[in-house]
Amino acid sequence: MPSDLSSLVHWILFLPLGAAVLSALFLRRAGGLAAWLSTGVAFAIAGLSLKLLTSATADVTWHVELAKFGGVSLGFGYLIDANARLMLFVVSFVAAWIHLFSVGYMKEDSARGRFFAGLSIFMFSILGIVVADNLLMTFIYWELVGFSSYMLIAHYFDKDYAAAASKKAFIVNRVGDLGFILGIAMCLSLYGTLDFAALKDHAAAAKTIPVAVGALLMCGFLGKSAQFPLHVWLTDAMAGPTPVSALIHAATMVAAGVYFMARVSFLLAPQVLDFIAISGAGMAALAGLCALAQTDIKKSLAYSTLAHLGIMGCAIGLGHPELALMHMAMHAFFKATLFLGAGSVIHGCHHEQDMLKMGGLLKKMPLTAATFIAATLSNCAVPFLAGWYSKDAIIEAAYHGDHIAIFAFLSLAALATCLYSGRMIRLVFLGEANSEEASHAHESPWTMTLPLVVLGLVYSVAGGFLAHTIIPAGSLKPIEHALGEVAFHLAAPSTIVGLLSLVIGFFGALKFYGTVRGADALQVVSPRTYHLLEHRWMDGLYRWYVDSVQRRVSEFIAFLDLLIINGVAVRWIGGGVPAVLGYLTGRSFHRGQTRAYALWIVLGSLFLAWFLIAR
Amino acid sequence: MDTFPATLLALAITAPILVGLILLAGRDLPRSFASGFAFGGFAIPAVLGPWLLILWSNPSTAPQQFQSEGFWGFGFALNGLGAPLLAMTSLVGLAAGIKALTQEVEGRNTYLGLILFMLGGTLGVFGTNHLVGFYFFHEFALIPTFILTLFWGGEGRRPAAMQMAIYLTAGAMASLAGILIAVDASGVEYGAATFESVAHGLQAAKSIPAATGALVLFGLGTLASLFPFHSWAAPGYSAAPTPVSMLHAGALKKFGLYGIILLGLSSLDITGGSLGTWFLWFALANVLLVGLICLTQRDLKQLISWSSVAHMGPIFLGIWVCGVSGKADGLDAAAFLMVAHGLSCAALFLLANAVRARAGTYRLDELGGLATRTPILAALFIAATMASIGLPGFGNFWGEVGVFLALRAQPLWLQALVASTVVISAVYALRAVAATFFGPASEALEKRFASAPFGDLGWAERFAVFLLLGASLTIGFVPSLVTKSVNPVVAGITTFSQHNAKAPVKAAPAAPAKR
Repeated sequence: MPSDLSSLVHWILFLPLGAAVLSALFLRRAGGLAAWLSTGVAFAIAGLSLKLLTSATADVTWHVELAKFGGVSLGFGYLIDANARLMLFVVSFVAAWIHLFSVGYMKEDSARGRFFAGLSIFMFSILGIVVADNLLMTFIYWELVGFSSYMLIAHYFDKDYAAAASKKAFIVNRVGDLGFILGIAMCLSLYGTLDFAALKDHAAAAKTIPVAVGALLMCGFLGKSAQFPLHVWLTDAMAGPTPVSALIHAATMVAAGVYFMARVSFLLAPQVLDFIAISGAGMAALAGLCALAQTDIKKSLAYSTLAHLGIMGCAIGLGHPELALMHMAMHAFFKATLFLGAGSVIHGCHHEQDMLKMGGLLKKMPLTAATFIAATLSNCAVPFLAGWYSKDAIIEAAYHGDHIAIFAFLSLAALATCLYSGRMIRLVFLGEANSEEASHAHESPWTMTLPLVVLGLVYSVAGGFLAHTIIPAGSLKPIEHALGEVAFHLAAPSTIVGLLSLVIGFFGALKFYGTVRGADALQVVSPRTYHLLEHRWMDGLYRWYVDSVQRRVSEFIAFLDLLIINGVAVRWIGGGVPAVLGYLTGRSFHRGQTRAYALWIVLGSLFLAWFLIAR
Repeated sequence: MDTFPATLLALAITAPILVGLILLAGRDLPRSFASGFAFGGFAIPAVLGPWLLILWSNPSTAPQQFQSEGFWGFGFALNGLGAPLLAMTSLVGLAAGIKALTQEVEGRNTYLGLILFMLGGTLGVFGTNHLVGFYFFHEFALIPTFILTLFWGGEGRRPAAMQMAIYLTAGAMASLAGILIAVDASGVEYGAATFESVAHGLQAAKSIPAATGALVLFGLGTLASLFPFHSWAAPGYSAAPTPVSMLHAGALKKFGLYGIILLGLSSLDITGGSLGTWFLWFALANVLLVGLICLTQRDLKQLISWSSVAHMGPIFLGIWVCGVSGKADGLDAAAFLMVAHGLSCAALFLLANAVRARAGTYRLDELGGLATRTPILAALFIAATMASIGLPGFGNFWGEVGVFLALRAQPLWLQALVASTVVISAVYALRAVAATFFGPASEALEKRFASAPFGDLGWAERFAVFLLLGASLTIGFVPSLVTKSVNPVVAGITTFSQHNAKAPVKAAPAAPAKR
């Protein structure tokens, strides 16, 4: 019954909104209550999403018109196809466990009400993107996701870096949204509708799709999924609390861009696809290498996320949106685990985030270590773990489609992944403690370790289970088809490359980073390479633009406005009027200037009114 | 005919004016008595305004216009565009009134009385159908605005009030000339010169003097701070006392836009020919140049004032594109934005003043870290900021996005320039939020807090902000509250401009004949 299922969607969508409003208005001082309310709602929607995933056999649709601007209908509705059901489940399931983790992680925080209200409003927004049935509603939730991300990054607002990072994230995302809204306008102009279903029909009927449509819509993806050249905000976004990094800046929000691209893949012209594929592959390799030059564990993971988003983008560009979604799902599980693991480590080390000051945590935090290592291996695409199914399938797709350059970039990305993963394991968990904090590290409470175990051990490892049961339940045909299409198997070239990378990269890194203690081995061996990877070139470019171009231009315009429009018009032309009036009225105008002036206006207006009525 | 709504309308407009008169006459009235009385004057319209909007949108009452005799012959009447603007004005009025009641000023009763006059005049602008009444009510509201700025304003109030008076008087004179010429050309008697009758007359008129459109557009444009006639606006709002800034920038300024739509767009070809080209470039300058000027502001209230000028850009463009395309969506969106902007802009002025009351300054470089001391003020300020930069959920979003979408048939560069406002406004607005509330508390603020501890936003002001933002959220979630009443008026106007676009007979043949 589709109607029953659409009411299920109402609950999925509006429960978190209700929780957010309640928490924001009434639970500001009752942090514990807000935490459990928000977490309870998150688990409830995870359950409802699972029900939807297992019981829906056809697309669930529902639509209502909110208002009309002329001939443009502002519609609100749902279009829940197989991809949406999968995404709903992945988002809500991962989110539920991250909520539980947050209960423990944020226990000491004085602003828990605000934090959990933020998480709930984020849930509303991201779920909205998943279910929306038209471009305008997608854009609405898209903006709301940007807002919730802003609020959550700014959680520690009294720190300058958090204030700057939140602002940067919002503004960079808006740059992408500028293109996005132009793309929406172009769709409306070309096809007269914003509904996905109708757009799909139009696109199918049209011989070619204008490049600009896809290119503009892609801008939104570049912003939200932090793709080059709009990737600069993601590493700064780690200023937010770690669960936020896990949920928003690793598992879900950044994946929304990928989901959206898959949703409108029929509007993407071949040129756009090529661009996404090449820039995604380049991003994957570059960001993976950059992860080697970060000592902050969260920032290193952020670069890893950038790399994986590049891989997902690449899959879309190669014409395999289903593979991109599958990788999105797998990545959500293992990257959430990695971030939560990092959170647990940071919590255990008394808020130390520098990996060079960690070490030897394997014994002190065994559960965290075990889950973190499991997720890392999944990240490295060890066969039969979650990451292998999706990541290597994408690399295989590049090979299979004769995109050798892309295959090369992705192989380099695979090697880089193994390198930074090995480095991370070596620096954090192996060897000896490198600081007072690390030597006094302790395992985290159950609210934090249980999510780690569930997400990490069960899901990161049981990739086969995921790939063959849960995920295909949402979209069985496309993925089986997609995997078949790229002839993916254990002896495929991608797996061979993957295994080589694992041996050389992972084990090489374990050994290499053990050679120096308390410092980064690469920085010691080759400071130049390290600097090349660490330095944020694009940030420098943007800073130059803001300081040297934007500021100067706007100051120049303000100056012109003051000089010409205000100065000349007011002082000379406008100033002449009271001067003449003053002359006519003699000194009385000068003595009681203000009163006289008011009187003049009153008299003049009365005169005018009389003149009008008397006629 | 059901006279009940007409009575409500007359009551909504006259109540604040009558209360204002009493307060002006009774300058010595005891404080509590005056406060209660004034609150009544602010609250009555705030109840009636939204009620009238709902009545107006109701199909059983919609065809009527709630007409009544009114003052001095030009009657009260409500049209579909005026109804939501009247409702918005009434809410802004109550919020401004609450703010004024919490202030400690000299000559309090006169102060309150003049603000009530301002409110009554503004309500009258949107609650009359008669062109003379429309103009009269605007002047009626404007005079107290000058006086209030001059005597109760802040820093730099004298030059600002003078400049504002000169500009607005000049603008009002030009628009009055335009209105008089238009009425004359339409052949309608002054006593019967309503927006509809003049529009009909003009549509049937053989010739309209060439300058009429320009006088109406630039005269009324000055009052709505159209570039390059905007110089009065930012200093004027900044120097005015906060309730006056709220009412002026939020509600009264919409007078110019309202007139441009109902007189200019509906019957004078203001978007055609070279006049239309100028209109486009000026409106673009409102978005871009004024937007860039906002980036250079170092003072919180100045920034809000300037951004209020910048936000007029999309409204002008919505009007322009409606005239050019003959399609209704641009004007529907512009009307929506007029309502939503009034709410968010008033909220921002109120909250900025609350910041100043605590930190003692509007200067952004001296502010900082206020959120630790005043979390609720910070949260509401962020909400109002988000509303003003068009975050979905708030009404402004529909207006802004509607204008972008309405421009879809225009060249891509034009669309991109207009839409760049989403980035520019985010930059200056979030910069202000960060500079005021985020980061560690500034030294000056800590000293101030140590010497005179201040609390979070008071209950009265909280209520006022909830009222404004709540209204914005309501129309954000239920946009049909506004569009139901706006759509039919706009459809009527576009029928004409389509007719105009197909047969450009009006001004075009007249001009070469003269040469």
